[in-house]
Amino acid sequence: MDKTAYFNDLMARTEELFYHELSDCVAWKTEFIGVDFIQSKDIRGGSPAEIIESCIREITAAGLIKGASYSIGGQEILLYLRIQECIHVPKEVKLLQGGIEPYNCPIVNMILDQLIEKLNFETTYLAELEVDPETNECMLKCAIFETADKIGNVCDWSDECRLIDEQDQWKTVKC
Amino acid sequence: MQDILDVLTSRKSIRRYKPDPVPNEMIDKILEAARWAPTGENYQPWRFIVITDQETRDKIGDLSKLGSGKRMTAWYCLGTMQKRFEKIEDPEKRAEVLRFMYSGEVSEFCKQAPVIIAVIGDLKIGSVDVPYDLCAATENILLEAHSLGLGACWVHGPVAATRDAIKFKEILGIPTGMNEYKVICYVAIGWPKEQRKHPRPKYALEDLVYWEKFGNKERP
Repeated sequence: MDKTAYFNDLMARTEELFYHELSDCVAWKTEFIGVDFIQSKDIRGGSPAEIIESCIREITAAGLIKGASYSIGGQEILLYLRIQECIHVPKEVKLLQGGIEPYNCPIVNMILDQLIEKLNFETTYLAELEVDPETNECMLKCAIFETADKIGNVCDWSDECRLIDEQDQWKTVKC
Repeated sequence: MQDILDVLTSRKSIRRYKPDPVPNEMIDKILEAARWAPTGENYQPWRFIVITDQETRDKIGDLSKLGSGKRMTAWYCLGTMQKRFEKIEDPEKRAEVLRFMYSGEVSEFCKQAPVIIAVIGDLKIGSVDVPYDLCAATENILLEAHSLGLGACWVHGPVAATRDAIKFKEILGIPTGMNEYKVICYVAIGWPKEQRKHPRPKYALEDLVYWEKFGNKERP
């Protein structure tokens, strides 16, 4: 039996139901999904980069993803993430097939949780989640706020992301 | 029996309040209205916390500002916020409105409301209907406040995100377990400092109503 497929099917059904109940604010409700795993690990670091990399190493070592790259930009509010071959991609594909945009990424929930738990970040927000079933790759844009006064520091993230891509500012975590 | 349509159609959300206190008799009437909302199998799962303490209102206002601010900062950075306000032609005014939104200031108005009523539900009492019952009670709060000449606003954002909902519960001493109480919203109430009688335009009925079957706009 393919247990991963089984659990992804359960998640897809549950997320479909959540979406049906809550529509577009559903993602606001799911931020704790996945945090039990990362909270069971000894994530350490004194900076966002160290925490993010420590999380990615643990998540990769557990076989939940094949790898991930990240970049922090946009006045240090944008966390741009590229995740390869996450075990939950089939769950996202199933949602897409049902006409629901994926909204709950347990992997990013883990990373954002540790920014809050270990560095006392004030708050975070998963702003965009794009899943490419062809390449098995997910692209995520998150807002991370170390302190409340960072709220409202705006810029154009499409420019930021383009620069990250063009200048190859991606940091790939070696595991 | 009196037709309530005039009350319904003249109500709008009020976010600016005079500092004058709301008399206790009015608060009691508002709570009484909430108590008479429809409720599945008469479970009455709602509980209400009335907040007048300025320090508590400030904490709730700060939490509300943070919740809206984080989301709207991100939406602005993604370019989606700007589309919502394209119809404001004056670029300076549009920029100021946008700043008001993404700073989160749009959601801290409860600091100025003399009264806040948190609407919470006991999940162990209410069976399957808790969120629906609480929404019905909230609507009754809004309508009674309006009928008394007060202004009110239903605020859901700060308790919609799970982490923020926990913070909200902690501010008010509500048990934080996911199995106990659900906070559906709070309602900010006060004497209106803005015009009460210009609700925003609504869709025409023919845009909203189908007859007998979904999609059928022809009245039989």
